[in-house]
Amino acid sequence: MVVGEGDGMVVDSNLQIGVNGDAFAALTASMYRKARRAAAAAGFGETGFFELDAEGGRMCAAGRNDLVIVVIAEPRVNVGLLRVEMLKALEAFA
Amino acid sequence: MRLSVAENWVEAPLKQFVGEARVQLAVLLNPSGQVLGQYGFASSVDVMTACALAAATTASSAELGRQVDGKAFSGLHYAGKARQIFLGQVPMGASLLILLTVFDDESSLGLVQLFFAELCANIAAIVPPEAPTGPALGEDFERELNRNLSVMFGRS
Repeated sequence: MVVGEGDGMVVDSNLQIGVNGDAFAALTASMYRKARRAAAAAGFGETGFFELDAEGGRMCAAGRNDLVIVVIAEPRVNVGLLRVEMLKALEAFA
Repeated sequence: MRLSVAENWVEAPLKQFVGEARVQLAVLLNPSGQVLGQYGFASSVDVMTACALAAATTASSAELGRQVDGKAFSGLHYAGKARQIFLGQVPMGASLLILLTVFDDESSLGLVQLFFAELCANIAAIVPPEAPTGPALGEDFERELNRNLSVMFGRS
């Protein structure tokens, strides 16, 4: 899904039935925003890629120009490949 | 937390909303403008003003919605440079309450909408049967308003 970083609203999404897209978008955008601020406060610069591991899956986010691409994936997903594809997709937001 | 309520049953859901949505100001009122609970306001005059404006804005936008769309608009959002306003209607049996909230970039519209939906569900689950379901009578309005404000701000 593509989410507005500032407002946490869904811009576009392709989700499986049962995923509460609005809630997920709002919470994910908030986490991503705070991760960016935390990284900046720690002097680490910009956050390029954000990953959250949970018991039943992973959530990955990458943002540019106030838009965030968010991916929900199964635990066995190839994170490296996912990261490359997400960063490539971000080029479209330039 | 600077939260105060005139009706005890609104305390828990309002406290949860402001804690989770990370808003700066929130006030829960009935459609006639009587406050039931507030968070973040420093004075009763500010609450009274906010309630009057929120009630009037809700009435206006509801009528505008009926004219434009055949049904009342149920929510309103305004984004300023630094702060944003969200005004939403909380169903309460046959009647409704109004929530006015102000937030900055610590929160977002998505978060406010998400936790507003939870607030609506929480209020629907706990609203007591004796809670007033209609607007206050005109003759009681000022007395009730002053009572609620004095309960919350400790002044008569």
